[in-house]
Amino acid sequence: MKDKLSKIKKDFESSLKKIADLDSLEELYNEYFSRKAGEMTNIMKSLKELSGEERKEMGALANTIKTAMEELFENSKKTLENNKWETLLETEKIDITQAKLPVERKGHLHPVTLVQNDLEDFFTSMGFMLLDGPELESEFYNFEAVNIPDDHPARDMQDTFYIKNRDNLVMRTHTSSVQVRAMQKYGAPLRMIVPGKVFRNEATDPRHEHTFHQLEGVVIDKNITFGDMKGVIERMVKHLYGEDTQVKLRPKFYPFVEPGVNGEVTCFLCKGSGCRVCKNTGWLEIFGAGMIHPNVLKAGNIDPKEYQGFAFGFGLTRLVMLKYGIEDIRHLESGNLKFLQQF
Amino acid sequence: MKISFKWLKQYVDLSESILAEEVAARLKASTVEVEELIDLSKSFENIVVGQVKSIEKHSDADKLNVCSVFDGKENWQVVCGGSNVVKDMKVAFAKIGAKVKWHGEGDLIELSKAKIRGVESFGMICASEEIGLGEKFKSKSEKEILDLSSLDLKVGDNLAKALNLDDAIFDIDNKSLSNRPDLWGHYGIAREVSALFNKKLKEYKTEEIKFSKNGGQKLSAKVEDNNLCPRYMVLEMDNIKVADSPEWLKTKLSAVGLKSINNIVDITNFIMFDLGQPMHAFDKAKIFGTEIFVRKAKDGEKFMALDNNEYELKSSDLVIADNEKVVALAGIMGGQNSEITENTTNIIFESANFGASNIRKTSTRLGLRSDSSARFEKSLDPNMTKIAMQKAIELVMQVCPEAKIVNKLVDEKSFSLNQGPIEISLEFIKAKLGLEIEKKNVINILSNLGFVITEKKDKMFVKIPTWRATKDISIPEDLVEEIARVYGYSKIEATLPTFIINPPEKNKLRDLERKAQQILSKTCGFTESYSYSFVSPQILQKLMLNTENHLELNNPIAKDRPYLRRSILPNLLESLEKNSHEFDEVAMFEIGQVFHVEESGVRMEEKSDELLPRQDTMLSLVYSAKNNKVPFFEVKSALEKVLAECGVDFSWQESEIIENYLHPARLSKVVINDVEIGIVAELHPAVQKNIGIDNRVAVTEISLDKLVDFIQEKNNYQILSQYPDVLRDVALLVDKKITNLELLNTIKAVSDLITEVELFDVFESDKIGKDKKSMAYHITYSSSEKTLETEEVEKVHKQVLEKLQKSFGAEVR
Repeated sequence: MKDKLSKIKKDFESSLKKIADLDSLEELYNEYFSRKAGEMTNIMKSLKELSGEERKEMGALANTIKTAMEELFENSKKTLENNKWETLLETEKIDITQAKLPVERKGHLHPVTLVQNDLEDFFTSMGFMLLDGPELESEFYNFEAVNIPDDHPARDMQDTFYIKNRDNLVMRTHTSSVQVRAMQKYGAPLRMIVPGKVFRNEATDPRHEHTFHQLEGVVIDKNITFGDMKGVIERMVKHLYGEDTQVKLRPKFYPFVEPGVNGEVTCFLCKGSGCRVCKNTGWLEIFGAGMIHPNVLKAGNIDPKEYQGFAFGFGLTRLVMLKYGIEDIRHLESGNLKFLQQF
Repeated sequence: MKISFKWLKQYVDLSESILAEEVAARLKASTVEVEELIDLSKSFENIVVGQVKSIEKHSDADKLNVCSVFDGKENWQVVCGGSNVVKDMKVAFAKIGAKVKWHGEGDLIELSKAKIRGVESFGMICASEEIGLGEKFKSKSEKEILDLSSLDLKVGDNLAKALNLDDAIFDIDNKSLSNRPDLWGHYGIAREVSALFNKKLKEYKTEEIKFSKNGGQKLSAKVEDNNLCPRYMVLEMDNIKVADSPEWLKTKLSAVGLKSINNIVDITNFIMFDLGQPMHAFDKAKIFGTEIFVRKAKDGEKFMALDNNEYELKSSDLVIADNEKVVALAGIMGGQNSEITENTTNIIFESANFGASNIRKTSTRLGLRSDSSARFEKSLDPNMTKIAMQKAIELVMQVCPEAKIVNKLVDEKSFSLNQGPIEISLEFIKAKLGLEIEKKNVINILSNLGFVITEKKDKMFVKIPTWRATKDISIPEDLVEEIARVYGYSKIEATLPTFIINPPEKNKLRDLERKAQQILSKTCGFTESYSYSFVSPQILQKLMLNTENHLELNNPIAKDRPYLRRSILPNLLESLEKNSHEFDEVAMFEIGQVFHVEESGVRMEEKSDELLPRQDTMLSLVYSAKNNKVPFFEVKSALEKVLAECGVDFSWQESEIIENYLHPARLSKVVINDVEIGIVAELHPAVQKNIGIDNRVAVTEISLDKLVDFIQEKNNYQILSQYPDVLRDVALLVDKKITNLELLNTIKAVSDLITEVELFDVFESDKIGKDKKSMAYHITYSSSEKTLETEEVEKVHKQVLEKLQKSFGAEVR
C-alpha cells in the first residue's frame, strides 16, 4: 500500500511535467481524482478494507500524499492559466475594423431641422421666445397686419397661393404673419423668433421652390435702435460663420419696416476674397431686416410712441443650402433617402 | 432700367475724379441695386479716328489695297478690302490690340500684326458692324468700310470719345426701385447722386409754353374719374415733319437700350428716361373730333395696341378715346389707329398722371407691361406732367423749328398731395438709430434730396417734395431712413440691447417636436423627411380618400398637387414607394401641419369670430422592410418610445376601420385618458400593391397638439427592495384571439407579490394548432418586507396557472 501510494505520487508528478495545457491537466486530474474511477479515489475507497492500526497509518499517509498531489495540481493549473493569458494575443485576436452585426439601422434628421435647432438654441439662450403660427393664414395677418394693403404691389411681388372658395385665406408667404399675432398675445416688450414653412406660388427649378423655410425674429422694447438690430444680427452671423464675419446693410423696401435693409455677410467659404459660392463678390445676401413700421406695432396693439423695435428674416432654406453646398433646392422636400441619409 | 453716366453728369456737378465705379458703389450702398456697370468705351480701346494718307493696289490680290493710315502720330501700313476706301478718308482705325468682330459676326478677336497675301498689315480699317456700330451707321454693302469724313472728328482721337460713346451704363434692378416714384429717370437718379456725393444738382430748366394766338380748333378733355386720372394734359402741334432723330438723341436712346423710331416718338421716350414721366403722341388726323375722353372701357371692347396685339378690355380698364374709338390704353400703350407715321403733320401730345393701382391691375391682367406702365404703377408726381410737356415742346421746336402750337394747353386736374410738414427732432433720429448725427448733416442730406426744412427751437419741420409725396414719404420714420441711408448704414455702430433678465416662455409643442425628432432618429433609426403640404389627386385616389373634404389651392402654378394635406401620410407613402426600390428597409418620419376644414383653429383677426381651419401638427411614421410580414410592431415600438418619454399613460385600442386604405385587422387607436390622439396600422395589402410597394407597410400618425396637453414629468422611482426577486418563466398555449393585454392583466391581478410581467416570446405553428399560439412570459415575484420562500412563490405561481387555465383555457407548455 505504501509503495502503491508513493508510485501513484511519482507517476502523477512525472505525468504532470508533461502536461502543457489546461484540458490535459483536467484529464490527468480526473484520472486520479474522479469520483468514480480516479486512481487516488480508489485508493481512498480501499482504505476501508484495511483494519485497525494500518488503516489509521495508511489513512494519514494517503491524505498527506493526496494533499501534496492536489497542491501540485493547483500550482500547475495556475502556471498553465498564466501561460494561457500570455498567448491571448494569438488565441483571441479579433478584427476590430469589423462592424457590429447585424448592422443597426441609423436614423437621420433633416438638414433644415439641424440648422433650425441650432438657431433656436442660440436665440432662446438670449431670452427669445420660440413661437409658431398657422401655415394657412388669414389675409389679414399675412398682409394687412404687416402694412401690405389690398392694392399694394407687394402682393404681386409675392405670388401667393390663394384658396378656392375661401377668398380671405392664403398659404402664408412669410413668417412675418406671426408678428402681429405675437404682439397681440404677448404685448411689449417682446423678444421672439419664428422658424417655419412658407409658400410662394412659383414654378420649381434647381434654384426656386414653392415651399421653403424662414426664420423670423422680432425685438421690441422702449429703446431698441437700428444699431441694436445690427448688433443682434451680427451676433447671429458670427455664431453661424465665425467671429471674423462682417455684416453689410443696404437699403431695401419691405412694407413692414422703416428703414428697411437687406443684409449681406462675409462669405464663409472664401472669407471675402470671392469664390463660387458668393459668385465672386465676397458677400452672401442672407437676410432682410428693418425697424418695425409704426403701423405694424399699432396692428399689434403696441403704442409706437412708447415702444419701437426691429424685425429680421433669414432664409433658413438658403442657410442650409449654403452650409452644405446643396445644389438643388428641390432635394429638400423630395423625401429621397439618398439625400436625407447624408445628414 | 439703364442709366447713362454721361447723361447723369448733365444734371449733377461731379468732378472728373469721381468714377462711375464709385457712383455705382454709393448707389448700391444707399439707394438701389446696381446689377451691372457697363463701360461702353472698353470696346473701343485701341480704335481711333484714322486718316488714309495713300493707297496702292495689293500686288497679289485684285480686291485688296495697301493703305497708309495716320493715327495722329505716325503712319501705319494696313491691308484693306473696303470697296469705298479713298485717299484722305477718315476711318475707324483698329490698331494692334483692338478687339473687333470679323464681318460683324462671331466672337471678338484681338488684332495682332498679320501678313495678308505676303504684305504686312498693322491693324485694320473697320466696317461699322465690325465695331458694334452697325445700328448707328448703316452700310450699303458688305464690302463698305465706315466713312467718318463727313463728321467733324479729330484724327487720332479715341473713337468712343470722338463719337461721344465714352459712357458708362448703370443697369439698375427695377425691383429695387419699386417704392421710389422719383427714380425712374436720369434727373431723379441725379438728385440722389447729388445727395450721396454732396454735389450740386442742376435745375431742370424748361420754358413756359408760348401759345400761338391764331387759334385753330380748340381741344378739350373729359376725365370720367379723377381717382384713376388725377391729371390729364393734351396739346396740339401742327407743321410737324416726322423724320429721323438727330444724332445726340439717337445716342442717348441707344445708351439706355432704346431703338430710335422717329423724332416725335423719340422725344417722348427721351422725356420718359430723362424725367421719368411717360408721354404719348397721337396723330391728330386720326383722332375724330376735338373731344378726348378719359373713360372706362366697355366690357368686351377690343383694342389693337402698338405691339400688334389685340386686347379685350374690361370695364375696370381706363382708356383714352375719341368720340368713335379707343385710341390708347391709358398709361400702358398707345393704339395702332392713331400712331405717328412719316406722313403725320399734326400731333397731340399727352402728358398725364394715372392711378397706380388701376394701371397695375390692367397691365397684370392683360400681361402687357411697358416702360410707361412700370412708371405709372409707382404713383408718379402729377406735377411732372407740366414740366414734361414744356420739355417736349422745347425739343420739338429744336428738331422741327417750323412746328407751331395750335390753340392752348388742356389741363384737367384734381389731386392733392400731402406734403407735410413732418415734425422731427435730433432726439427722435438718435432714438431710432442709436447714433447721433449732427444737425447740419441732417439738414444737408434732406435738402439735397429736395426736402425743405424749417427750424423752430429743437424741432425741424420738413416739407416733403411733391415727387416723394405720392406715397413714399409720410411719417418721421421715413425721414430717418432717408437720413440714415445717405449718411451710410456702415457708419452706424452695432450695439447689443439690454434686457431685463426674464426666461422666455416655453414652447411645449416645439419641445415635444424636438424630443420626438431625437428619439425617432437617434434611438429608433427613423430618418426625418420633409414633404409638400400639398397632395395630388392621384395619391388620394390610390388611398381611396376623397378629395371633397380637402381645401384646394385656387391658382397653383404647379398644378399636380392642388389639395392641402389632411394627413402627412399620402406624401410620406409616395416617398416610401420611391425609396423602396432602392433600399431593402425604409423607415421615415415627418412632423408638420395638416389642414382640417371642418374643424376650427385660431382667429382670422383679433376681434373677429371667424376662425381659421384647424391645423394640428402631426407626427407620422412609415415603415417597410423586405421579409418583414408584420411591420406593425416596428412603428408601434417607435411610437411607444416617444410616448414613454412624454410620461403619458396611453393605451392601444382596437378600432373599427377608420380609412379604407388601412388593414382592417392590423389597426389600433392610440388613446390617452379617453382622448384618441392617433392611429397605428398597416396598409391594406391591396392598397400597398396599388401604390407600388412590394412589402407590407406600417404607418402611424398622431396629433402632437393633442399629445402635448397630456405631457407630464413622470417619476417611476421605487425604493429598492432589500430582498431578492424570484423569477419564473411560463409558456402558455392559448387561443389566437386571446390578447397579450388580457393575459398580462390577469396575471398581475393574481397577487401583489407579482411585480412585473413581461412577454418575451410569441410562437405560432401548425404543429401547435392553427388557432393556437404560444405566449411566453417572465414573471417577477418580490416583496419589500421579506425574503420570499420557495413554497410561497410556488403557491402563488400555481394560482396564476390555475387562473389562466380557468379564464382562457391556457395550457402550460
